[in-house]
Amino acid sequence: MSKVLKVNHLPALTYRFLKSNDSEIEIKDIEIKAEKTPVTGELPGGISVKDDATEEDIRKIFKSVNEKIAAKKLDIPGPNGDTMPLNDAQTVRTGMGVEIDSFMQEMNVPVTVISAEEGQKVSQPVMIRYELSDGDCVLGSQVIHAKKDSEITVIMEYVSEPDNGGFLGIQTRLLAEEGAKINLVKVQTISEKMVHFDDIGGVCDDKADIEAINMQLGAGHTWGGCRVTLLGDNCVFNNHTGYLCRHKQGYDMNYVADQMGKKTNSNMVFRGVLLDEAVKTFRGTLDFKAGSAGSVGDEQEDTLLLSPDVINRTMPVILCGEEDVDGRHGASIGQLGDDTLFYMESRGIDEESAKKLMIRARMESIARMIPDEAIIIRIQQYIRTIL
Amino acid sequence: MSENNKAVVDIDRRVYDIKDVENEQDFYRMEDGFTEDIVRKISEEKHDPEWMREFRLKSLEIYNKLEMPDWGPDTDDLDMNLISSYVRSKSDMKGKWEDVPEDIKNTFERLGIPEAERESLAGVGAQYDSELVYHNVKDEVAAQGVVYTDMESALTGEYSEMVHEYFMKLVPPTDHKYAALHGAVWSGGSFVYVPKGVKVEIPLQSYFRLNAAGAGQFEHTLIIVDEGADLHFIEGCSAPKYNVANLHAGCVELYVKKNARLRYSTIENWSKNMYNLNTKRALVEEGARMEWVSGSFGSHTSYLYPMTILKGDHSNMEYTGITFAGKGQNLDTGAKVIHQGKYTSSMISTKSISKSGGIGTYRSSVTINKEAKHAKTSVSCDSLMLDSISRADTIPGMDIRTNDADVGHEAKIGRISDEAVFYLMSRGLSEEDARALIVSGFANPVSKELPLEYAVEMNNLIKLEMSGG
Repeated sequence: MSKVLKVNHLPALTYRFLKSNDSEIEIKDIEIKAEKTPVTGELPGGISVKDDATEEDIRKIFKSVNEKIAAKKLDIPGPNGDTMPLNDAQTVRTGMGVEIDSFMQEMNVPVTVISAEEGQKVSQPVMIRYELSDGDCVLGSQVIHAKKDSEITVIMEYVSEPDNGGFLGIQTRLLAEEGAKINLVKVQTISEKMVHFDDIGGVCDDKADIEAINMQLGAGHTWGGCRVTLLGDNCVFNNHTGYLCRHKQGYDMNYVADQMGKKTNSNMVFRGVLLDEAVKTFRGTLDFKAGSAGSVGDEQEDTLLLSPDVINRTMPVILCGEEDVDGRHGASIGQLGDDTLFYMESRGIDEESAKKLMIRARMESIARMIPDEAIIIRIQQYIRTIL
Repeated sequence: MSENNKAVVDIDRRVYDIKDVENEQDFYRMEDGFTEDIVRKISEEKHDPEWMREFRLKSLEIYNKLEMPDWGPDTDDLDMNLISSYVRSKSDMKGKWEDVPEDIKNTFERLGIPEAERESLAGVGAQYDSELVYHNVKDEVAAQGVVYTDMESALTGEYSEMVHEYFMKLVPPTDHKYAALHGAVWSGGSFVYVPKGVKVEIPLQSYFRLNAAGAGQFEHTLIIVDEGADLHFIEGCSAPKYNVANLHAGCVELYVKKNARLRYSTIENWSKNMYNLNTKRALVEEGARMEWVSGSFGSHTSYLYPMTILKGDHSNMEYTGITFAGKGQNLDTGAKVIHQGKYTSSMISTKSISKSGGIGTYRSSVTINKEAKHAKTSVSCDSLMLDSISRADTIPGMDIRTNDADVGHEAKIGRISDEAVFYLMSRGLSEEDARALIVSGFANPVSKELPLEYAVEMNNLIKLEMSGG
């Protein structure tokens, strides 16, 4: 099949010459396998897994929060160049947008629903591992549903042999009901000959919490999107993304926190390194909707550029239709500072080693947050190997 | 409350809104719309050289092909068939203030232009609708070789070759739809040339007044500051409010040559029926410096993003801007910078205030090209929301194509802190005065960059907005 998907719409369009308003995934001449979610190991108690859910089933799961979203009257017009209406048809708004939904449905991708039962706080993670062979073109979809006052941790790994070619497209949708918490970890180390997209969309109800950790280290080209609707009052979204792009790798991402409830809190951190001829486009948006009084949001981007041939595009957006909010963005983009290098060299570390040390330090500052020592070690080994 | 503040509150916005009736006997008005026939008539009226007539027609062709951008404020209510591209007084431009027709003179007297000229300016140009009605430069400045004249005189006079060389080369008509429209129907504006090494100690100012209802103003400003020279140019604009849309699609092209410095200050106070679709651009050569100071208070809708191209090594720019979006306004403003030369640096600092349903959008781009080694940029944008029926959006973009760059960006959106208001009220200020004082403080980084008279005007405009004036 051949197809072009338009994804990662910036929530408010800007100058066309920046070429960052959206992105396109060209899917050419591949045979897609729509797979069930490969949950591995023993399932922790209090967690249930249901395969083969339909989109209709998913609509039912999100029905009550979607009604609540629809009931929120936004009297204030959207921003200039508003792209929000483009994704109105989604069951859950995701970072990459409606064309991923349509593609998944067109390819009949079965949805796996992983649920934490009401009141069950489960610390043992649910492990999901996509292991791709050469030529595999896989699509997968799952919904993580944390029912009232529950807690669930899901760790997803995408791996392959270094020279395998193929395609991996994943969509993960999250619902954290009142007082619930979802910890989602994604680690991607697939071959640079593979193309990858990873789309996340979530809804947080009252006092709920979504914590996401995302390590994007492999794939020739990756599209990543994550949109969390902070619907309820006092809910939280924390995201930590680490990425390492080298050779001709490309990473195109779109993160959005839609803050609707009162006293919501979003905090997004992005730490990355670009080497060789890597290209990265970062879109990060804090969207304070009317009625989100008392909310705070912060997004911080820190990018280390280690080659004269890299391209770094950054679009840090703050949209605001509410007076009583505090929104902040900070970005620091550049090469290793002379002071840092001088310090390293005075300790007997040459420039090349100093750079490797700083790359590892950045990646490990995110990896260390993963609640699984074996995966942290695998990440360290992977970085050591590719450097 | 101090007497000083009372005086501020008492300032009457109506001075900007006085409508002077333009009768057929004294004014010539082109029929509405933008057609080839109209463009030919304008060209004829203005005795354009052949190349300019061709340029206008080509621009019109481009205008008809280009679409409006999909990212900015809505312009659906701007019916181009109801806009007159050219309105002028039947009187010629004057070099002496007393020769300017009485009704036009009265308008500018009310706005304080001749007074400002006497007190603090090296020269003044005053445009009324589509044409300059007055232009004068102080003898001592003219004696330094500084040229400050209207564009039409420059186009056909001594500087015609220079105009031909530079006109719309920095902002080509293909740039966007309203740049093309400007190329087709431009009229009025100023030409400035500051010779090598000349430092103009006090500012030049052009003031643009659009008095006619349903009209467009398309003035062109071309400034060349030659090597080692220095100039501060001030641009002011206003219009009375009408119930029909007015259009301003001016174009400013600034050339800052090696080691020169240009400061371009604008206080924009168009009426709130104005579509301000203006384009400004500066080309900065080696070791030169461009400074923008920009205050946007008026207009119904604005698209305004002055662009600086740091072409030469060691060139730099600084942009300081404030936008105050009140009731019924959608002001989409910001800045663009392209780093091309080595060791270039840019600093963008903006403040945006939204109130009473106004929409304020800060939009910017920073591009650092591969060749721009050792480039440094710092962007800081602060937005203040004064109520929950307004919008404040921040949409910056950065495109960095070398590792040898240092990029810093920070943005903040927030409200006036209750603690600050409480503190000022405990010192005897009313809540309204306390809030006005805090907003003035928020705008201080911009007002301190303006000459005193203009800083006072800006603060007055802020206080008028805050008091719902």
